[in-house]
Amino acid sequence: VSDVTANPSEIPAGTADAELVDLTAAPEAATVDVPPELLAQSLGQYFRAWWARVRGGNSGVLPVVLAIVVVAISFQIANSKFLSAQNLVNLFEQSTIYMLLAMAEIFALLLGEIDLSVGLVMALGSVIVAELVQPTGANLPWWVAIIVALLACGGFGAIQGTLVARLKMPSFIVTLGGLLILEGVAIIVLGGTLVGIGNSGFHNEVILYNIFWGTFSPVVGWILLAVLVGAAGVGLWLQDSRKRRHGLETAPRSLTAMKIGLVAAAGIGLVAICNVNRAHFGRIEGVPYIIPIVLVVLGASTVLLRRTRFGRYVYAIGGNPEAARRAGVSLTAVRTWCFVLSGLISGIAGVLFASWQVSLTTNIIKAANSYVLLAVAAAVIGGTSLFGGRGKTIHGVLGGLVIGGIYNGLYLLGVSSQWIDVVVAAVLLAAAVIDVLSRRGAPSQGT
Amino acid sequence: MGQDRETPGTADPGETPAKTADAGTIELAAAPDLSAADVPSELLAQSLGQYIRAWLLRIRGGDSGVLPVVMAIVIVAVVFQIITPEHAFLRPSNLVYIFGLSTVYMVLAIAETVVLLLAEIDLSVGAVALIGGVIAFKLVQSPGPGWPWWAAIIAAVVVCGLIGALQGTLSSRLKIQSFVVTLAGFLLYSGILIIVLGGADGFVNLSSNLTNQRIIYDMVQGVIVPAAGWVVLAVVVVAGGAAVWLRAAARRRRGLVAPPPSLTAIRIAVFALVGVAVVIICNVNRGTSLVSVRGVPWVIPIVLVVLGAWTVLLERTRFGRYVYAIGGNPEAARRAGVSLVWIRTWSFALCSATAGLGGILLGSFFYGEYSTNTADPGQLVLYTVAAAVIGGVSLFGGRGKAIHGVLGGFLIGGIAYGVSLLNLGELATPLEYILPGGVLLAAVLVDVLSRRGATGSVTRV
Repeated sequence: VSDVTANPSEIPAGTADAELVDLTAAPEAATVDVPPELLAQSLGQYFRAWWARVRGGNSGVLPVVLAIVVVAISFQIANSKFLSAQNLVNLFEQSTIYMLLAMAEIFALLLGEIDLSVGLVMALGSVIVAELVQPTGANLPWWVAIIVALLACGGFGAIQGTLVARLKMPSFIVTLGGLLILEGVAIIVLGGTLVGIGNSGFHNEVILYNIFWGTFSPVVGWILLAVLVGAAGVGLWLQDSRKRRHGLETAPRSLTAMKIGLVAAAGIGLVAICNVNRAHFGRIEGVPYIIPIVLVVLGASTVLLRRTRFGRYVYAIGGNPEAARRAGVSLTAVRTWCFVLSGLISGIAGVLFASWQVSLTTNIIKAANSYVLLAVAAAVIGGTSLFGGRGKTIHGVLGGLVIGGIYNGLYLLGVSSQWIDVVVAAVLLAAAVIDVLSRRGAPSQGT
Repeated sequence: MGQDRETPGTADPGETPAKTADAGTIELAAAPDLSAADVPSELLAQSLGQYIRAWLLRIRGGDSGVLPVVMAIVIVAVVFQIITPEHAFLRPSNLVYIFGLSTVYMVLAIAETVVLLLAEIDLSVGAVALIGGVIAFKLVQSPGPGWPWWAAIIAAVVVCGLIGALQGTLSSRLKIQSFVVTLAGFLLYSGILIIVLGGADGFVNLSSNLTNQRIIYDMVQGVIVPAAGWVVLAVVVVAGGAAVWLRAAARRRRGLVAPPPSLTAIRIAVFALVGVAVVIICNVNRGTSLVSVRGVPWVIPIVLVVLGAWTVLLERTRFGRYVYAIGGNPEAARRAGVSLVWIRTWSFALCSATAGLGGILLGSFFYGEYSTNTADPGQLVLYTVAAAVIGGVSLFGGRGKAIHGVLGGFLIGGIAYGVSLLNLGELATPLEYILPGGVLLAAVLVDVLSRRGATGSVTRV
């Protein structure tokens, strides 16, 4: 990445929250000078530059973070249980599927495409994994079942991606057709009966159950956090000093230290919250496995999009496919792989969904259909553009948290589910309006 | 609107409107791709033979119009007729039932077409349709508001139109993507729908004993008595035929381009034959040995009126030409002085208003009962978009007609009902999902592949 940054004439736009190169913002910024953040030498300069950028309309994750704060404060005022340790873990559990599906969706959205099948791919993954471990049926080991499910979901994504990329069929239609076909396939795989993984007598089912419901013991949670923060901190610091040594533009040291401090503080808060006993009877405590699972998916997809050639190509195609093609990017390969990744992440969501639901019936079809639209909503609320080239997978996590928070909070207040839909709709519209209005203030951007 | 309003455009071959195979109207839809090409040879054809040769040439060139969906309907009909038990698929009773089943998809797909023509999308049509149906059903309740049936229908259609106008305003003035606006709308109205119905178990139904409610109940379930069916058909065919004939003659007299007289005669004859077949099929007794049910269902003329109104609006009025112009190239339309904001807003409003009517028909099809189980708004919108695209409407704007929605909707309804006839047991439900999905993909694949052969057409990178 660093060699791209080295040449200011290539004008990558720096982002507020990372010192990575952001090609996302580049298409519009291409004629502008280097963003002042990249040249900021002190912390004060950096913040001023960041504030100027936010006011200029390029607000990054700020709106969705504000939305989370607003949601948290208003529900806490309405019901003091909202920010209790028990409920926060519960809220994260409810948001997990939204987060993963939104991340899957973002791979399509970044290209300026859409994947309407993520919800049903998730349903497919969940029924495959649950069917394959049935002691009376295939009776495969849990890890084989998971691999088969992920391969099936990734493979379905590959088929859709091929139709979109090679035959140039509109992704909206391909994934709409895929959705309809998968509704049927999921019912066939289910075989019209209920499939459960809740039998504690079978080792494979217990492990699958624990993927969603299992937790680290409190001590292990602390150790893991220490290792993680230590490794990330050292990595970040070393990378920064290497850039400085090579004479590249780097964020000020104090900023790097602050970032590491923030990550550590957030991690400590998280582990402390999760380690509170949240059972009414007995003990349930510790960090749920799903938190590291979501973090791993987020981390892997972030590295893939931000640090690899593939990721740069994704943003390049999203920004301007014709320009990317002329620069020698294989549109076919990148597009196909994005749909594979979308299917794969949806498959991971499917494994978690099976574990979360414990037993699956054909009702999951209806649930999966509403998940699709909420996944798109989560991505857009998080700040990802529907027009391609603009967004990060962290947007999916934050947007999923907003939607999960609204569902959780209104549920706590005893509001029925139809009103929750109304509120989510309002939040989605608000996010879109904020996005449009903030972009009007942005310099040199077309509408 | 005068019959010859658009003739100045036709008179000048340099403006290259593309003539379509199935109507004598000018279609701006196909124009964007062809604008650099010469005048289509069909326009200049003087004899029937020339015309048919020109038409075949155009189909081979990739611009196949309604042909793929008509062929798909024929294939589906033949296949199901062969494989259904007792070859029951094409029984008159089943055909009439399929039409009723397809009604909501047809009307919603017509509604969606105008939005797709603008290269926008309306994901809320399903939810808006259900809102419209529930409003109309609630307003005629007695005890309750007890409105007359026509006032209830108008109120429902107007409210839905206002909903659409609001969405159109958000999308066109604030420039929020229609995908997001209507997605939010979908969530919003789905929630409101359940609230209005009175919870997840709520429902509203019509009594077929009260005349006022009976009329809405009969919109799909009621029939025109056999003799009246023939009279109506005769009137429609004579009036329609005379109008088409006189129009073509008027054009010829003024020296404008017009299809050969033999072609006009053939069209009128085909139309009359289809009408006679429909009336014969509908007049067969489809009831039991005790209660006979015969006659053309009201819903057929209702759908035809909706189709006719939309066809005239899209193909004979300035509004329609502007819609195609915006869909073809919004920037060019804007520079030509078309108000993008107004056309887009009106299109969304008319789309939602039509959807509201579709929702009333849906409730009537379900024997006058509306509940949260009547239809799933999410599935409704997916099937609607699928119906429009299968029918031949392009998702990229500027290409499509109202008739495409009707044919696509009929195909989807036919597949759904055909599968249910097959006694497949456990496989029936999955196939009802898989087949429309497969047909959708096949239709778009055919469209994409055929367009590759088209002259001068633009494909994306």
